[in-house]
Amino acid sequence: MIGSGIKRGTAELAILSVLEHGPLHGYEMARRIEQQTKGALRFTLAALYPMLYRMEQRGWIRGAWEISQSGRRKRCYRLTPAGKKKLSPLRKEWAELFGALKRLTKVSHA
Amino acid sequence: MPDWQELVRQRLSSLALDAEEKDEVHAELAAHLEESYEVFRAEGLPEYEAVQRTLAQVADWKELQRKIDSARIGKDTMTNRVTQLWLPGLLTFALSMGLLELVQKFGPRPIILNLDKGTPVLMFYTSWLLILPLAGALGAYLSKRAGGSVRMVLASSIFPVLPFAVVFLIAIPVGLVIGHNLAHHIVTAAFFTMGLGWVLAPGATLFAGGLLVQFLFSRRSGFHGVTTS
Repeated sequence: MIGSGIKRGTAELAILSVLEHGPLHGYEMARRIEQQTKGALRFTLAALYPMLYRMEQRGWIRGAWEISQSGRRKRCYRLTPAGKKKLSPLRKEWAELFGALKRLTKVSHA
Repeated sequence: MPDWQELVRQRLSSLALDAEEKDEVHAELAAHLEESYEVFRAEGLPEYEAVQRTLAQVADWKELQRKIDSARIGKDTMTNRVTQLWLPGLLTFALSMGLLELVQKFGPRPIILNLDKGTPVLMFYTSWLLILPLAGALGAYLSKRAGGSVRMVLASSIFPVLPFAVVFLIAIPVGLVIGHNLAHHIVTAAFFTMGLGWVLAPGATLFAGGLLVQFLFSRRSGFHGVTTS
């Protein structure tokens, strides 16, 4: 079973990564993550918003109400400088972890 | 179609947030549910099923409420209070007092109003009052930059007058009760003049600076269009 620390870490990386390309509101963010990971990562409302609020509290992202093209008010999130700074080491950490796991499983299968 | 706003408001009614924040969370989650429902409908699901699948995103509303409370007012609250209120507020206070010191030493003489014979006088350092909006704006800007809410931003801007307000609102009435030998009309006049000179007038000018920053920030974030599906 995947521990909550690992789940949270991957979720944070996923959110920071999709926001790197521009501001998004919650629903669109969840859709992008699902599409780009081909369904491997899925965020329900219950999983997404507590995570977004926590990341906002930490100063990694900032939400602001904006008017969409359809005229609806939506809260859009964008990366803050602190979030941009966080993304690079986070990516490196996860790349190292997955690299290590890959090596380990290859050795195990050999 | 359900009234998503009402549904979220009912199910997350006990969020431990202030009214403004609570409304924001309700509106945001309702917008998410509504969009989700519309996509299911556009994919051809009948209304009942679309509603059920939309609601299935939240298995336990109580748990969601707990998580949101924990995320928004949890362990980082202290850090946020420091960066969004105390630090900008104290800087505004230091700047205001520094400016007052400079004005008293090098500025023009204050306008002095004699209210009545034997009662305290009202002194206005007009040049100080004229530059105070800058200090209020600085406090508001620093708070906003740290992600402060409207309330935090405005509180940071008027922070320098808050200690005076507390002193006047507590110390003078207490002094009135304890000091029986003080004439009531003197205490009342002191309360009025000091309150006006040290709380209301500077508070209003600081607030003006803070309000301007808040207005500029809200304009900047309010007119950005975004692409949605």
